[in-house]
Amino acid sequence: MNVAWRLAFLTLAGVALSAAITRGPQAQGPQATAPAAIAGISGNWELSYDSRRVPKAKLLPTVTQANLTRHANMDAHAIRWCNLMGLPFVMDSGRPVDIREGPTAVIVVAENVPNPRYLYKRANHISADIYDPSTLGDSIARWEGTTLVVDTIGFHRTRGITTIPGGGYRTDKSHLVERFRLIGDNVLSVTSTWTDKTVFAAPQTYEFRYYRLPASYEPRAGLPCDPYNQDRADFLGDPLQPRPPAKTVR
Amino acid sequence: MRKIIVVSAMPVVTMVLTLAAGARQATPSSWQRLEGAWVRTDPEGSGSFGGLGANIPAARLKPGVSMSGGGRGARGAGGGRGAPPTPADAAPHKEGDPYIAVAQPCGGGAGRSGGALLINPDSGGVHLVISKDEIVFAGERGGVRHIYMDGRPHPSPWLPTGAGHSVGHFEGDVLVVETTGLTAGGVPGGGVRSPATRLIERFQVAPDGRTMTLTYTWDDPAIYEQPHTYRYIFDRAPGDPAYALEEWCDASDPIEKQSIVPPKQIKGGGN
Repeated sequence: MNVAWRLAFLTLAGVALSAAITRGPQAQGPQATAPAAIAGISGNWELSYDSRRVPKAKLLPTVTQANLTRHANMDAHAIRWCNLMGLPFVMDSGRPVDIREGPTAVIVVAENVPNPRYLYKRANHISADIYDPSTLGDSIARWEGTTLVVDTIGFHRTRGITTIPGGGYRTDKSHLVERFRLIGDNVLSVTSTWTDKTVFAAPQTYEFRYYRLPASYEPRAGLPCDPYNQDRADFLGDPLQPRPPAKTVR
Repeated sequence: MRKIIVVSAMPVVTMVLTLAAGARQATPSSWQRLEGAWVRTDPEGSGSFGGLGANIPAARLKPGVSMSGGGRGARGAGGGRGAPPTPADAAPHKEGDPYIAVAQPCGGGAGRSGGALLINPDSGGVHLVISKDEIVFAGERGGVRHIYMDGRPHPSPWLPTGAGHSVGHFEGDVLVVETTGLTAGGVPGGGVRSPATRLIERFQVAPDGRTMTLTYTWDDPAIYEQPHTYRYIFDRAPGDPAYALEEWCDASDPIEKQSIVPPKQIKGGGN
């Protein structure tokens, strides 16, 4: 009888041991490839009113007020016609961002932006010979210790919202380096540094700090944007396509 | 003696069985193979958008249930770039008429489908990013679906959307996604859906990692005599490396309104 009880105990121990093995990391589900201490970059994140530290940009003398006005008008046009906005807008769009890290890429989805960012975990950018410049550019990412460093080039010269926080604007010559790092478990710091030899006298660096939303948070549908809604068109106007003045009725 | 032998073997048998069960769970390599860029293909060689739909088996609807709109393919639709007509609703084409009448290009803003397009992907590239608690399924034509992998239930109440609410899990190497809460509309193969309809998608990558089969099963006892099932095949997106293309559409650009008008056909054929 004692032998039977001992063997029954061994059986239960065997079950428990097997369960522990099969519940190990390999069998539970996808794991972030970041070190365990910083696996928390995945989640929903939101900017608050105290989230931004943006110095004034140092612009080249060749960046005239006319240049700045032209880019501001291009931005207004992009908004009026519901165009893709691109960077830097996506990182401060007025709604939370959903960041998910997978084995080969990190995806950044802003709630009210239809096209997400892909931060590809590879060493080299797509060849400029074949890459179509875009509003988001070509982003590659790597972990440097506890910091995700993202390097982006390949921006389109005119499409989307080109104005950069602090002043200046992005061009097809722009280069963006971002550093994503956690501050504790619930604050994500993203430091962005723009360089462009046609715009900036010195690199333009600013920092956003995002707050983590609860794990139960689910992104909401984006708000509608109808470029053919006349009331909306009248509300916004379009500096690149001004309407003719209304005829005066005598 | 026999009792002692049987009891002695129990721990060993138990460990072997549970380890075998663990081996059937998803492995990191299977997630990595699922992640990436994919493009829907035409494996039957149908040769046209209409042909793709024609290869989907017809849904068996219950008596009294009929298509109430939705789906894709209205000629000259106001949204997007105008989907080509399906065989069911294609009007006879008159010479000189444009194939695609673009009245309002980029309608609703570029790619603002809210993920609805990804319930029935078309020829645009699609991308999957696999993380522990959520898989993001995104389309180059815009829109994103969030597939929750953390065991959460579908919320109630829920306002129906074009993409519904999706939860998923792995069965071995197969990603199984359950979606409910879709807006009412059509389903490929002449099917119909309501917010109560349940969609099961099974994403399975071939052993060589080059193709993915996405099997759809629409289940709704109020609509279907039996679950309506069909599959799409995807290839790895081309490019070394592949990357997500940006589909640009500026509604203010006059070129976006240029419709496709076929050239005058030479009657009688020949050179």
